[in-house]
Amino acid sequence: MEKKKITIALAGNPNVGKTTLFNAITGARQHVGNWPGVTVEKKTGKRTYKDTEIEVVDLPGTYSLTAYSIDEVVARDYVVEEKPDVVVQIVDATNLERNLYLTTQLMELGSRVVIALNMWDLAESRGDKIDTRKMEDFLEIPVVKTVANRAEGIDALLEEVVREADKGEHHEHEVSYGDDIEKKIIELEEIVGKDSALSGKYPVRWLSVKLLDGDENILEKIEGSSVGTQVNSVLSTIEKEDYEAAMAEKRYEAINTVLPQVCVKCVKEVTFSDMIDRAVTNKYLGIPIFLAMMWAAFEVTFTVATPLMEFVDMFFGWLAGVVADSITNPVLGSLLGDGIVGGVGAVMIFLPNILLLFLMISLLEDSGYMARAAFVMDKLMYKIGLNGRSFIPLLMGFGCNVPAIMATRTIEDERDRLVTILVNPFISCGARLPVYLMLAGAFFGRQAGSVIFGIYILGIIVAILSAKLIRGTVVKGKPSPFIMELPPYRLPTAKASAIHMWEKGSIYLKKAGTIILVGVVFVWLLSAIPAPGVDAAFASEEILGTEDSMIGVLGHVMEPLVSPLGFDWKVAVALVFGFIAKEIVIGSMGVLYGTGEDEDALAEILTAGAMSPLTALGLMVFTLLYVPCIACVGVVKKETGSWKWTLFMMVYGTTLAWIAAFLIYRIGTAIGWGV
Amino acid sequence: MANTNKMIFAMVAGILYVVFGILKMLEGFGIETGLAELLLIPGDFFGGFCFVVIGAVFLYAVKELTAGVHMGVSYIYVGILMSLVFMAVYLLVMGSDILMFYVVKSEDYEGWRIIDSMRPGIYLGILSLIGYFFWKDRFTTEMTKA
Repeated sequence: MEKKKITIALAGNPNVGKTTLFNAITGARQHVGNWPGVTVEKKTGKRTYKDTEIEVVDLPGTYSLTAYSIDEVVARDYVVEEKPDVVVQIVDATNLERNLYLTTQLMELGSRVVIALNMWDLAESRGDKIDTRKMEDFLEIPVVKTVANRAEGIDALLEEVVREADKGEHHEHEVSYGDDIEKKIIELEEIVGKDSALSGKYPVRWLSVKLLDGDENILEKIEGSSVGTQVNSVLSTIEKEDYEAAMAEKRYEAINTVLPQVCVKCVKEVTFSDMIDRAVTNKYLGIPIFLAMMWAAFEVTFTVATPLMEFVDMFFGWLAGVVADSITNPVLGSLLGDGIVGGVGAVMIFLPNILLLFLMISLLEDSGYMARAAFVMDKLMYKIGLNGRSFIPLLMGFGCNVPAIMATRTIEDERDRLVTILVNPFISCGARLPVYLMLAGAFFGRQAGSVIFGIYILGIIVAILSAKLIRGTVVKGKPSPFIMELPPYRLPTAKASAIHMWEKGSIYLKKAGTIILVGVVFVWLLSAIPAPGVDAAFASEEILGTEDSMIGVLGHVMEPLVSPLGFDWKVAVALVFGFIAKEIVIGSMGVLYGTGEDEDALAEILTAGAMSPLTALGLMVFTLLYVPCIACVGVVKKETGSWKWTLFMMVYGTTLAWIAAFLIYRIGTAIGWGV
Repeated sequence: MANTNKMIFAMVAGILYVVFGILKMLEGFGIETGLAELLLIPGDFFGGFCFVVIGAVFLYAVKELTAGVHMGVSYIYVGILMSLVFMAVYLLVMGSDILMFYVVKSEDYEGWRIIDSMRPGIYLGILSLIGYFFWKDRFTTEMTKA
C-alpha cells in the first residue's frame, strides 16, 4: 500500500526549542537548503509515522506574522503560499502569553495548527499548572505536551498532526477587533474580494487585517492589484499606527481572557518594570518624560558643579601665582602662566561639569532607561527617515561624537548608517559644554541651565530636521525596521556608574594634557609673535593677544566672515582653533582676552561690552553647529570611506551655523533683545 | 476603595504640579504672577515644563483609573518616582548653594539664606514621598490581583 504523504511546518518564537524538536522528529535525516532569493536558511527533514510519510519544514523563528523582518516574511510566505497540511507551533510553556500571540496570527491565517507545548516540565517545576484540555477547548486547537530535548511527547504530537491533517472540515478562528476596526475590515473584505487573483490565494479577512496592520508586504501586493486604488482610499481614512497598536492590544486581550482559565499561576506578576514601562513608553507622555529626565540631568550638571568648579579655579589660580612668583624669565613666565596654565586651566575648570554630565548619562544608561528612550524615539526616528537603532549613537554623541559615530556600525542598513553619521555632529558633545557654560553663566545667570538645555535641544532638532532633509534628497529610501528587547530596570550601582563616568571623563583629561595643551601653546605663540611691521619684542606685554600680534593678523583676515554675526576678530580666531578641539575655543579666549584661567575675569570682560547676550547666544549656536573637531572629521571620513560625504558634512554644518547665528543676531537686533 | 484613594492622590498631585509648572513657565517668560515670592517659585521655563509633565503623568493615572484600567496605577507610581527625582535634583542644588555660601564664600551668595534655595520641587516632593512609603509594595501586588 502506498504511503500517505503530508507536509508539516514547524513555527514558533525564537528560542522555544524548535530546532531541538525538529531533530527529535526527523532524527539525522534532515538536510539544509536555501530559500530562493533570501539568505535565511530553512531545514527540511522526513519522518515516517505509521502509514504516513511526513515532510517536516523548520521555519525561521518569529514573534508574529506581520512582515517586519525577513524572517517573518519567509515564515509567513511559506505558510500562506506553500500551504502545509499542518502547522505545528512550538509554544514555550514558560512564556505562554508572548507565544500565544503567534498562535492568534496563525489562527487568523486559517492554518490547521497543532500546538506542541514544549518545556512544560520547566513550567510545572516553577509551579505553573497548565490545563491542556481547557486550552484545546478555548483555542479549538489540539495541544500536546512535549519536552523536545528528551524527545518526550513526539509520538503523541505526530499522532495529533496526522489526525488534524485527515480532518475534513476546518473551523477558522477570528479575533474580534471591536466595532470600529471590524467595520473597516468588512469594508476592505468587500473590496479585496473583488480581486479573484488575491482572494483565491489568501484568506480575504486575513488580507484585510494585514492591510490595517500596515503590513508592507501585503500593501505591495495590493499596489499591483486591480483594487489597489480603492484599498488605498480606505486606508487613507485611518491612523495606521493607532490601528496597528489597537489590533495588537486586542490580540493580547483575547490571550489574556484565555490565559487565566487554562493556567494557574501563568498570569505573570506585575513588576515595577512593567509599571514604569507603561508610563515611560506611553504614546503621548514618553517623549515629554524623556525631555524632563534630560533636563534634570542638565540641571545637576550645571548647578551642582558650581562649587566644584570654584575649587578647580582656586587650584589653577594658586598655580598661576606660583608660576608668576617663581619664574623670572618673562617669556617663559608668559608661556607657562598665560599660555599653558591659562589655556589648559580655562578648559580644566569645566572638568566637574563634564564628569557630572557623564555620571548622569551613565545613571540613565545603567538603570535601563536609555533603552526605553530609544524605544520611545523609534517612531519619531522612523518618521524622519532613521532607524530606531540610530538613536543610541545619537545619544552617545552627548558624550563624544567620535565613539558615537563608530557605534553606527551596529546599523545594518548602509543608508540609515550614513544619515546617522552625517547628523551625529549636531548632537552637542561634552567638549562644547565649556563654551556654553562660560557664556551662559556670564550672560544668563540663573537661567543658564535652561539656556544650555535649550542649546542641546536645538542640536537634537537640527539633527532630526537634517536627517529628514538628507533622507528626502541626497540619501533617498525608507528606513529599515527596528526591534529591540527592553532590559529590566536595575538600580545603578555607585561603582559601575563611577567607572563608566571615569571611562568617558578621562578622555577629556587626556585631551587637556595633549591636543588642548598643544593647541593653546600654539595660540599663545601666535599671540606672542609681533605682526609684520610692529616694532615690539617677542611675547612682550604690549602685543600679547592684541591686534599687533600674528594672531591679530589672522583674526582680521577671518573677521569679515564673522562680523555679520556680531563676532569680533578674537572670536573668529577662537572658532578657527576650535577645529582642533572644541574646548580650545574657551582656552583661546582666555589667552586672547588676557584673563588666563580666570573664568570670572573673562566673564567680566565679555559682559562689560566685549559681547552682548545676543552675540553670546549666537556664538553658542555657532559652536553647536559648525564644523566638528578634527578627530570627528577623521572618523567621519573613516566610517563613510568618502571625502565627498566628509566635505558635505563640514560645509553643511558650517553653513547652517552661519545662517543660524546670523538670524539670531539680526532678528535679535531688530527687536531689540539682548543687544 | 484603594484605587479611590490613589485617584484622589493623583488628582491632587497632578493639579498641583501642573499649576506650579505653569507658574514657573510664566515667571520664566517674565510675566509676574504675584505668587513667586509667596510660593518660592523661580522663573524657569524648562523647569516649569518638567513640572507640567509630572502633573500630566499623575492626571493620566486619573484618566485610566476612571476608565476602569487597573494598570493606570502605573502612572501614579511613575509620577511619584519622577517627583522624587526632581526633589533630589533640587536638594542637590541646595547642597551646592550651601557649599557656595559656607565653603567657597562666594560674593554672589552674600546674604543667602537656606529659604532662598527652597523650591516647590522639594516641598511638593514630600507629598510624593508619603505616597511612596504608603503604597510602595502594594502597587504591584494589588495590580497583579486585579
